[in-house]
This record gives sequence, C-alpha cells and structure tokens, in this order.
Amino acid sequence: MIDFGSFKARDCGGSTRRSFLRTASAVPLALRAGLPTPEAIADAKHRARAKSVILLWLWGGPSHIDLVDPKPDASMDYRGPFGTIDTRTTGLKFTELLPRMAERSDRYSVVRSMVNTNNGHPGAGTVGLTGFEESPGPVQPNFGAIVSKHRGQNGSLPPFFYIGRGIPRDLPTRIEGYGGGTLGKAFDPFLVSASDRGEVSIPTLKMMPNMSPGRISDRRQLLNQLDEDRYRLDAANVAEWNHKYQSAYGLLTSAEARAAFDLTQESAKTRSSYGRSTFGQGCLLARRLAEAGVPYIQVNWSEYVETFTPGGDWGWDTHIYNFELLQDRHGPIFDRAFSALLDDMTDRGLLDDTLLIAMGEFGRTPRISNRAAREHWNQCYFSIWAGAGVQPGRVVGQSDARGEVPVSRPITPLMAGTTIAELTGVGAQQRAEMKVLDGGSVIDELF
Amino acid sequence: MSSFEHRTSRIEHSTSHERTSMLNVERSLFNVSVVFVARPAALHAAYDWRRSMCDVTVAIVSLCISLSVIADAYAADPERLTTDGTFKRDPVFTDSGATLVYGYDERPDLVRMLKMNVADRSVTPVFEDAGNRHNLEPAWSLDGHWVAYTQCTGNLTARLVIHNRTQNRDAFVSHSGRGGTRSPTFSPDSKTVVYAFAETGPQQLWSVDVAAQNKKQLTECSGITNWPTFTPDGKTIVFANSRENNYEIYSMSADGSNERRLTDNAIMDIRPRVSPDGNRIAFVSTRDGNYEVYVMNLDGSRVQRITNSEERDDYPTWHPNGTQLVAVSERDGDFDLYLYDVGPTQLASGM
Repeated sequence: MIDFGSFKARDCGGSTRRSFLRTASAVPLALRAGLPTPEAIADAKHRARAKSVILLWLWGGPSHIDLVDPKPDASMDYRGPFGTIDTRTTGLKFTELLPRMAERSDRYSVVRSMVNTNNGHPGAGTVGLTGFEESPGPVQPNFGAIVSKHRGQNGSLPPFFYIGRGIPRDLPTRIEGYGGGTLGKAFDPFLVSASDRGEVSIPTLKMMPNMSPGRISDRRQLLNQLDEDRYRLDAANVAEWNHKYQSAYGLLTSAEARAAFDLTQESAKTRSSYGRSTFGQGCLLARRLAEAGVPYIQVNWSEYVETFTPGGDWGWDTHIYNFELLQDRHGPIFDRAFSALLDDMTDRGLLDDTLLIAMGEFGRTPRISNRAAREHWNQCYFSIWAGAGVQPGRVVGQSDARGEVPVSRPITPLMAGTTIAELTGVGAQQRAEMKVLDGGSVIDELF
Repeated sequence: MSSFEHRTSRIEHSTSHERTSMLNVERSLFNVSVVFVARPAALHAAYDWRRSMCDVTVAIVSLCISLSVIADAYAADPERLTTDGTFKRDPVFTDSGATLVYGYDERPDLVRMLKMNVADRSVTPVFEDAGNRHNLEPAWSLDGHWVAYTQCTGNLTARLVIHNRTQNRDAFVSHSGRGGTRSPTFSPDSKTVVYAFAETGPQQLWSVDVAAQNKKQLTECSGITNWPTFTPDGKTIVFANSRENNYEIYSMSADGSNERRLTDNAIMDIRPRVSPDGNRIAFVSTRDGNYEVYVMNLDGSRVQRITNSEERDDYPTWHPNGTQLVAVSERDGDFDLYLYDVGPTQLASGM
C-alpha cells in the first residue's frame, strides 16, 4: 500500500560549546562538585535557552536497573544478568547494553531519582507528559502543547510534532495527556511516522482513499477531496478535522515541510548511523525538524506499551522476556539511536540551543518477578538530559542499594516539565497566564 | 610512510568489510610473528641437529599458520546471504544445509519465520497461515520431522509449539499463568525438546517429548538460565546462566549432573551453539566492547574471535559442515545473514 503523503527514502541518498564554557567558567567549584549556588543556577538558566526540544518518550517503562542504574552488589533476585561497564563520567556505570552511550556520557546528564505518582501506563503517561494526574480533571496540557502555545507556528511546520505510529496507548486506552489538554485541541501534536527505512508518512491523510501521490500536487483536486471527506463527518468533529487537514495539506504543499521530511537528503552514513529501526529513523527526523525550527518534537518509542503481544510494537513494558528483549532489541536500538542523535546534534552545533531528553513514565521492579522479568515501578526511574545549557557529565539523584527509592531529592515529571518550560522561555509569568505547571520547580542540579 | 602507517591508512579509508578483512590478516601476521619470536633461544646454540629439527618445526608451524591465515581470510570475508537489511534473528540450518530458517521483522509489530533455499536464496514463509502472532526461535529436529518454536498467543503470553511436519499437526506446551518459553532445541535423537521457562522463580531448563508430554524441570539453578544446546551424542547440554553476576556458559550431563563452567568474564557470554562434530561451541560475547561471535572448544579452551566490527554480530548457528557458521551481522545499520568460514576443528585446536 502506498501511504499518501509519504516520502520514499532511497538506499543511497545522496558546537560550538561556548554556552557550556561560559556557564562553567562562571560557576564556582561547588557547582562542579554537584552543589550549585543559587547565583550559578540563575546564571545558567539565564544563558540557557532551548529553541527546540526533542523528547525521546520511552513508552512502557524501561528498566532503570538493567540500563543506566545497575546494582551489581544487590542480591541475585534484584541485580539482573547484565554486567556493568564504565562510562566517561566518574562514578557512573551502565550495564553492558549501552556501550555507545557509555562512551558519550560526558555529553549528557542522568537523573536517577525520578518518581511518578501513578503506576499504570495511561495514568503514569499522563503524569509523565503533563506533570499531573488525569483525575480529577481536566487533563493538563502536554509539555509540548505549552511550548507550542508559547511559540506559535512559524512557517508551514506545526510547532508540536509527534513522531511514531500513533498516539501512545495501552491496549485499550491512550494517554489522555498526549496533547493540548486545557489549552485546547489546537495545541495537539501533529503526528508523522518514519519507517525503519526512513520513509516518512502522515497517518492523518491515510483516511483519504482516493488520493494518490500523483494527485498531491494538484491543489484543486486535493481541496475537493478534503471537502468531500469533511462532509462525511459530524459537525462536532469538523473544527478538529479542519485543523488537522489544513495542517496536513499545508505540510504536503510546503517545500519547507517536504524538505524537512525527506530523509534521503541525509548521507547514507548519517542515516545508517541511527540504525534501521523506526525509533532510530524517527530520531533522525526529529533532528531535521529541530533544525527546521520546530519548537517541540516528541519521538515515541512505540505506539503500544505492550512488548510481546499480537499487534504490539515492542514497547518497554517487559512483563515477560525483560532480559531477552533488552538484550536482543531495546538496548541495542536505544544505544545506537541516542548516541547517533547526540553525535549528530553535537556535530551540527544543535546542542547549544536544543534540549534533548529521554525518559519513560516509570521504571521496573527492582526485584525480578517469578516470570524472570520485571513489573511496573513508579517509585524510582531515570531520565537523561542534554543540551540547551544542561551541564553534561552529571548524575542527579541517587537510588538506594536496590534501586527501589531515591535516597536524594526525588525528581518529578512536573519538575521535568517546568525545566523544559523554563528553558524554552515559558517563564513563571507565562505559565501562570496559561494556568499550567502550577507549583513546578526547575531541576536545579542540571545547571 | 611506514608500512604500519600505510596499513593504518588503508584501514581508516576502507569499508567496514574491507576493514574486517584487513584486521584479520593483520591478526594472522601477528600470530606468525609471535611464533617466530617465541622460538626458544636455546635452539640456536651448540647442537646443529637440534637447530635443524627446530627449523623443521618452524617450517611445520609456519605451514600451519599459513593454513590458519587462509582460514582467517575466509572468515574475514563472509558471504552475505540476505540483502534486505530487515532485523533478523535465530537462524538455523535444516535439510543438511540446503535450507536456512530464520525470524525477521515482517512489520514493526510482527516477527515471522522464513526459510531460505540456500542455493538460489529464494525465501518463503515457514508457515503460510501464521496469522498475526509472533513466531520466533525455530528449532529443527535432526530427522527433519519436527519444528519447535515460540509463539506469542496473547498479551504477555507465549507457548512452545512442536509442529509435526509429516502430519502437519501441532502440539502445545503451556505453563500456568503469564510467561513465555524460550530457546527450544531438540535432542539429537529428535525425541525430546529442551527449552527455558520461568514458572515460579529463577528461569530454568525444562524438557518435554515431541508429543508435548512428560514435561519436567531439568535444572534447579539460581539466576537466569537460557539457550540450551546438545552435543551430538546427546550426553551433554551446554547453556548459559547468570548466577555469577552476568551470563556465563556452562555444560552439564543431560541428566543435570556434572555441571562445569566454561567461560569467565565480567560481561555476557550467551547463545552457545555446539558444533555438529561436538568439538566446539559458537557463542556471543560483549567482551570486546559490543556483540561479537566467538568459537571455543567444548571445554572452554582456545577462544577464537570470528567477527570484528563496531556493529553488532549475533545469533550464530553452525552450518552442518562444521566449518562454517551463519550469524546476523549489522552492517551500516542493516541486519543481514552472513556465512562465516571458521575452519575445521583440527586447525582450530592446533592453533
């Protein structure tokens, strides 16, 4: 089947770090030891501004112990089967599943004391992406929607993209905090997907059965088709439909958008460096969108949390085969894609003004289950931060000897969202005016 | 430019495959150098006949090394069997090497099993009506009558399927509750399937007959146990276990006794596969920084690195000829099946 609006990739397609250095030089030794002074934090935040944010959303709950917070001295029913390796950061060890990321740990910081108030996927997903529980409503806006409202649309590209197969969901339920929330559906993300071969498509347009790629350039035919489809919808959905299709149409007829989506403009070396996975190619697309000026891009690891179920697309919800899947699939894919994105952003100077984050909604049980896997664990998990003034090479927060709870300041999704907002220029005043992220504080230890 | 600089420059400007080849040749030359340097100084002394004997010895060793260079050269230039680049796993030969079965990502949400006619490289599904379920980890009985594999049957649940090819009939091995079987393998007499499963705690090895009856637990180990593989005489099972903080490879008698540890690393040694002659084990290790394929003798001695790439090499399986193996190698981001020549056992044990 030809995906209308897709951009076929061919097989052979044809930082400066001044802000970091300025910040570092302005900071007393206490900061470098992990004890920032209020003045240093204020200075770092003042200098650090993210033109774009790329959030790698590790949907399903990746195991913190089996990736970036190993516990080799814990008893066998906790520590798991993976060996540990050194990183470039003193005192930071990863499991052997992340050798490329270990080699690059001096370019990002790891938070090991994340906590979520919810331990179920859709609910924890909403907390992870909005900072607040779904109930009692109303559902708060996704961090990307907040940035989107603040920045507005500049050019043909929407300000808030989702890259992935669909809105992240548990089998029957999607994350309610996926989009605009209290800010309205106008601030929902615009969904595009990238195949493992780098073919980009716009799922919104797949419902137009009579369209072909050849007709895409015929504006009049396309508008007629859009109108025909619109009349099939009830009145309540017309406004949302108009918004989605106008955006989609704008993208398809915009040279700027088509260029941003065309991964064949990248060298074969660059494309392959990300790995031939949907997540890897999605990360490359995210870099191109950030480069094109899109303020907020969320790359979804999968649509479904389920990792091993009919129709599931290998989310991080590893209730069974946790160790096999992390070793066979998840670890190598994430290690390669994250490292390639970090390298690419570094080489292009994007890390100066682009914030890169990787996190899921929670971690997994430190104690290995009686099915030789790990269950949900919201009391301690991890996130990874780089760019836009974040001081690299830091470990923020500590978990206890078994990885069960933080032993230093817990970091919440609300704090993550507030930090994102602050770095993208959504200050306290703007947040108050939007009535978002109430009570949030910045993760000062990152600066 | 010195010869070393020249070689380094060539390596830096070569493709990954060329680089692998050159590195292996370099390694072989290094081996030759070591042999000559290691020649005992005493043999240069007074007794000419000893010197003569030594020269003969050196000549013989040189011949062996030359042959090993040939073997390495073959190993360094693997034959690429697929070119589509899709993620693949679990290759296994059947039909005396005429057919290669493997799992691949048909869609982002579906793993299928394919069989390749090795002669013309044509591929067809193992099961035409496989539905919307993941099927993976195929094992083929030596008599050709049976196929065992892991099948996803629902959310977070998988079962072991034993398919009777002659009667086109399936038998299912299920355990209580959620969970999944792993890594089935047939005993050499084609009567028993051994696999891994975690029922109420640490993952153990289990066995069942081909009618999916007489299920019994074979091991009582701490840690995670996985990837069983038989020696051709059926007397020994080789497997991996994580009790020593990471996966190591062990062997034991088929009844579970006489366990022996074969590897000792701080990081993983996984997916052991006993060679058809029963003398060697192919396995995967991250001991050199990423997933690479190695071969060692059945007792764990004489470890030989087969692949050498900054990218991943995984899922080794022996060709029935015992001198080659197939692995899934990631090259420039693509996952394809490659045929590696590892040389006959006698050369490897003589190195």
